Amino acid sequence: MKTESIHRTSMWKFKLSAATMTLIPAAVGINYVAKALAEGLKLPVWLGSLGTFLASMLAGPVAGAISGFINNVIYGLTLSPISTVYAITSIGIGIAVGILHAKGWFSSAKRVFVSAIIIAIVSAVISTPLNVIFWGGQTGIAWGDSLFAVMVANHAPVWLASFTDEFVLDILDKVCVAYLAFFIYRQLPQRMIRFFRDDK
Amino acid sequence: MTDQSMLSGNPAGKSRWFNAIDPISKLLLILDMALLSFASTNLLLEAGLITGGLLLLLFSKVSSTTVKALGFSLFLIFTMLVIQGLFYSKNQTVWFSIIGINFYKEGLIYATTLGSRVLVIILASGFFMVTTSISENAKYLEQSGLSYKTVYVLMSVCYILPEIMGNMRKIQQAQRVRGVNPQKTVIQKLKSVLPVLIPLVIKTLDQSMTRSISLQLRGFDNPNRKALKSTNRYRLVSGLHIGLTFAAIILIGWKLWTKISGLL
Repeated sequence: MKTESIHRTSMWKFKLSAATMTLIPAAVGINYVAKALAEGLKLPVWLGSLGTFLASMLAGPVAGAISGFINNVIYGLTLSPISTVYAITSIGIGIAVGILHAKGWFSSAKRVFVSAIIIAIVSAVISTPLNVIFWGGQTGIAWGDSLFAVMVANHAPVWLASFTDEFVLDILDKVCVAYLAFFIYRQLPQRMIRFFRDDK
Repeated sequence: MTDQSMLSGNPAGKSRWFNAIDPISKLLLILDMALLSFASTNLLLEAGLITGGLLLLLFSKVSSTTVKALGFSLFLIFTMLVIQGLFYSKNQTVWFSIIGINFYKEGLIYATTLGSRVLVIILASGFFMVTTSISENAKYLEQSGLSYKTVYVLMSVCYILPEIMGNMRKIQQAQRVRGVNPQKTVIQKLKSVLPVLIPLVIKTLDQSMTRSISLQLRGFDNPNRKALKSTNRYRLVSGLHIGLTFAAIILIGWKLWTKISGLL
């Protein structure tokens, strides 16, 4: 069996093994149903990156990044074309979660909160230019866009207003998803964690 | 997403004009239309591209998915018109007033340009979405040289998804029978998500493990694997690829040139 130190040094090791090949579509599926569940319950968060979080935690940052990328490509080609460009954000989220998990930042509830903030910053930094290019800085979520409108009306730079709009939405979403992923990961059977982790 | 015709390809077996265009040419067409839309700020050109996209859709087929995507985007474009029309930083010329609120020309034109670009992308992608099935894409991608493992990852999502959705409905029903119901406050609602998500994730990952073991047992890694054959007959494949790629390069070059000459 591999030791923990080996796992740390092999964080970036990636092979498209049978286990990873089936984990990635499952992660995309989890993203999709979690989003559908959040929409069904009318929650103020998307939860659409839960699968990407879990794939990164189970099989490392590369697997998580690929899950995120494929998630947005499939979503874009079947439901919402513009979401394809946000694949870059999903790659960033996958990599950030993978690194933070490998460095032990998903080991306790307190650390998860710090991780969630870092992931929200990563997500907002990557999404802001895309929001500005495609939507003039808006996100499409009413209360975030109201904040954007107030800031732009008060002559704040579009980039800052757009970042704030995205960040306030992201912080809430990523904190919820990070805690959900943390709780779910702790409930997973050890044989499952080992199966996806060792099969590289 | 769960539409069977989308998964299995041309359902009736009747070949129409768009079946003769290969998936990569359709993707290049989306890229060209998007680049042309981004390269220009001329609203007439944007209107022409939107009309072109609409005609492509009308002469192929219109699906509810495209209508939904359009509906969501139109709402967002409307909010963009309001916000930019009122607060765009370069606003100077008042165009019209509604109950004493001034809407500015510069902001409205800016929002219309952005909105048109979004519509062009949605309409062009809509054409790809309604005319290309997932299995057709997979076969074509594998024939074009993409590794079958990558094709499997892309394609299996579309088959696994209905299974996961089915599992979710079963788990939701079971939890409702046990008395776990959606609550009123946000915290209560979030807590009520856990009894559904935990079993759902474990079941999904468990099924992935089973699928992975069966793939290994069936020799999925066999190097002498036979590639899937596409039943579609495409026309002018290399001509379309070369023409559309050339157009994309020219458009990118044009955009870069206008940016650089603007800086000088």
